[in-house]
Amino acid sequence: MNPTFTLVLGAIALGLPTAGFLVNALTAGKLPRRVVSFLGPGVVLGAFVASLLLLVELLSQSPAHRGITVVFWHWLNLSVGSAGGAVAQSGFNANFSVRIDPLAVLMMLVITGIGGLIHVYSVGYMAEDAGYNRFFAYMNLFITSMLLLVMSENLIFLIIGWSMVAFASYALIAFWYQRPAAVTAGRKAFITQVIGDVGLVLGAFLIFLNLRGSNGQLLHTVDLRTIFVNVGPGAHFHNGLGLMGGGLVTVIGILLFVGAAAKSAQWPLHTWLPDAMEGPTPVSALIHAATMVTAGVYLIARFHPIYQQAPIAAGVVAAVGIGTALMAAIIGCTQYDIKRVIAYSTMSQIGLMIFAVGVGAYSAGMFQFFTHACFKALLFLAAGNVIHALHDEQDIRSMGGLSTRMRLTFGAFLVGSLALAGIPLFAGWFSKEELLSSGLALGPAVPWLWLLGVSVNVLTSFYIFRVVWMAFRGQPASSRAAAANEARPVMLVPVLVLAFLAAVVGFLNIDFFGFHPVTVFSAFLQPVLGTPAAHASDGIQALALLVGTLLSVLGLTLAWAVYGRRVISPDLISRNLPWIYQLSLQKFYWDEIYDAVLVRPSLAFAGVVRQVFEPRIFDRLVDGVKVGVGTLADDLRTMQTGFFRDYALIFFVCAVVGLVVLGLRLA
Amino acid sequence: MTGLFPGFLTLSAAMFALGALGVMLRRNPLVVFMSIELMLNAGNLALITYARYTHTMAGQVFALIVIAVAASEVVVGLALITGVYRSGRRLDIDDLSEMRE
Repeated sequence: MNPTFTLVLGAIALGLPTAGFLVNALTAGKLPRRVVSFLGPGVVLGAFVASLLLLVELLSQSPAHRGITVVFWHWLNLSVGSAGGAVAQSGFNANFSVRIDPLAVLMMLVITGIGGLIHVYSVGYMAEDAGYNRFFAYMNLFITSMLLLVMSENLIFLIIGWSMVAFASYALIAFWYQRPAAVTAGRKAFITQVIGDVGLVLGAFLIFLNLRGSNGQLLHTVDLRTIFVNVGPGAHFHNGLGLMGGGLVTVIGILLFVGAAAKSAQWPLHTWLPDAMEGPTPVSALIHAATMVTAGVYLIARFHPIYQQAPIAAGVVAAVGIGTALMAAIIGCTQYDIKRVIAYSTMSQIGLMIFAVGVGAYSAGMFQFFTHACFKALLFLAAGNVIHALHDEQDIRSMGGLSTRMRLTFGAFLVGSLALAGIPLFAGWFSKEELLSSGLALGPAVPWLWLLGVSVNVLTSFYIFRVVWMAFRGQPASSRAAAANEARPVMLVPVLVLAFLAAVVGFLNIDFFGFHPVTVFSAFLQPVLGTPAAHASDGIQALALLVGTLLSVLGLTLAWAVYGRRVISPDLISRNLPWIYQLSLQKFYWDEIYDAVLVRPSLAFAGVVRQVFEPRIFDRLVDGVKVGVGTLADDLRTMQTGFFRDYALIFFVCAVVGLVVLGLRLA
Repeated sequence: MTGLFPGFLTLSAAMFALGALGVMLRRNPLVVFMSIELMLNAGNLALITYARYTHTMAGQVFALIVIAVAASEVVVGLALITGVYRSGRRLDIDDLSEMRE
């Protein structure tokens, strides 16, 4: 690859959104809206073009050479025995540098491509908002942080990007800072992110402190590739992290997963995601569907050499993923807020991706990430159109009959739902079936996990088509729904583009030239992620495909029977199995559990401190200092008479005493 | 010559003690000022004595610097005293005690 060309493209991709953020932020809202409307989406689309060119550059190379490190700036270079510049083998190096490889470029394309469409959409969605410029400043900052996170080639800038993403997410969720609910949601998201940051940083420290090179020497490196080479199967196992037995690497894997779980809203750090729906809808589409929540999947895929050495940690990842997928899907079936249904659906789908990367199906997980970004952003934006048309109404019980009034939005939402449900030939079908059959081949407790996975299929298509029927079909349930109008072109076009993508991106994975069994996607990612350890045999794969598809269709049919045809009563479950219904409606009571276990004890402790320690100990301590200093000052003040002779006397007496003491010591 | 050194030092000490007493006991700022000059010159005398005693130049250089400092100090001090007098106040340092507290 041409280093200069790559450097320029990488700098453009990372620099344009940064510049957009800086210009927007530093002009503090003084920039005319018309300028912002072009600047905000423009910089992201510019970065997208740069990413596309990087992709072309990558594809022009042979697979083994797809990957180049571009150093922007030698930031810290504490090399031992080298005078800067040259990279020494020993010593600590942390450069501001990026790694352009298939995985990074895939992430960049989604972040800037889907992100760019969402920026365009925001021009329409946020048009009447007073904080228009601020909104685009935050959005550009988010894109920058996310790009930094996926492009970074060392731990330090990865963590910087990771935390910047958390901040940008906080700023965007709490964007409407006049609404207490939004501010609370933003705070909740940020606190959860910080818990994740702690996990990630501790994991990084452990790697930094314990990684050994092939000669058994401690490496003290933050460079990701050096880490992976020395931890991976190619390294001498007793020299790498494995020196500490499997224990240390398992701890590292779990700590990294704490970070991933917080970003990707996996149990037990998942409660922030539904609340984050308080932010503007484009934010939900950008952050909580397409990009940020998939950072955890990226992290685990990127650190897969560690997980390959830590089967226990990987098992935890897979189990948490599939558990979250199932739980979120169950919750999604009973929610009435259209955005919350999609939010739980996101959590569920990301659970599946986490499951995939946990069992080692890295490229299947990344493929699911790719298609999911398209159809989930589509669902959010289409829902945003509905919410906008209904003047901020989000309850699907007050919708209904929208398919005739908003034909294009309905069509787009339908495509998104079909893709999400995994109906054949739509994007989600390809990715989900590949994911589940890889899981079948690789998972340790294979049939069980696979069964859980396909039962998610039923629930997924059920809850999303429940929304389709309740919101779009039937009769309008409110005057707002009856008066709804189709969205403006600036909001419609990105939705239609995404609908097109959601319909067709699945075909990207089909290898039309038949290099069985490696699909196009996993072939592209192979230089980074390697080849999966095992493949399901054709027969099992076909069976899995058939069962999965049938279950998706079953869910769709169920939704149709309950909410379309109404041949099955919707409260069948709530009447016969009320506890399941309540569990789902109350989101498995996690918020209540955290409230009881964490929040209330903290508040009680704070209350005790306030009542007892504060007045009796701290206040007295502080008052004591005050009184003591005051008394001392009163006593000393009498020395200051204002009479010159007194001062002179003190001076001479002290001088004489000093001289005498000095003389005695010398003598 | 060497035999005279104790005498010079005694003279210097006496001058210094007189100056110190003057500073502490007299109330007229002009006299206080003169007492300070007396102390400075007592110091000069001691410095020069020791310079001769040790056959080095450092003491003499210091004496010159002290003379320069004393001259500058006189300029400032006399200006202050004149200023106080012009403002129509009695020249009594016990009266000039507003800086207390």
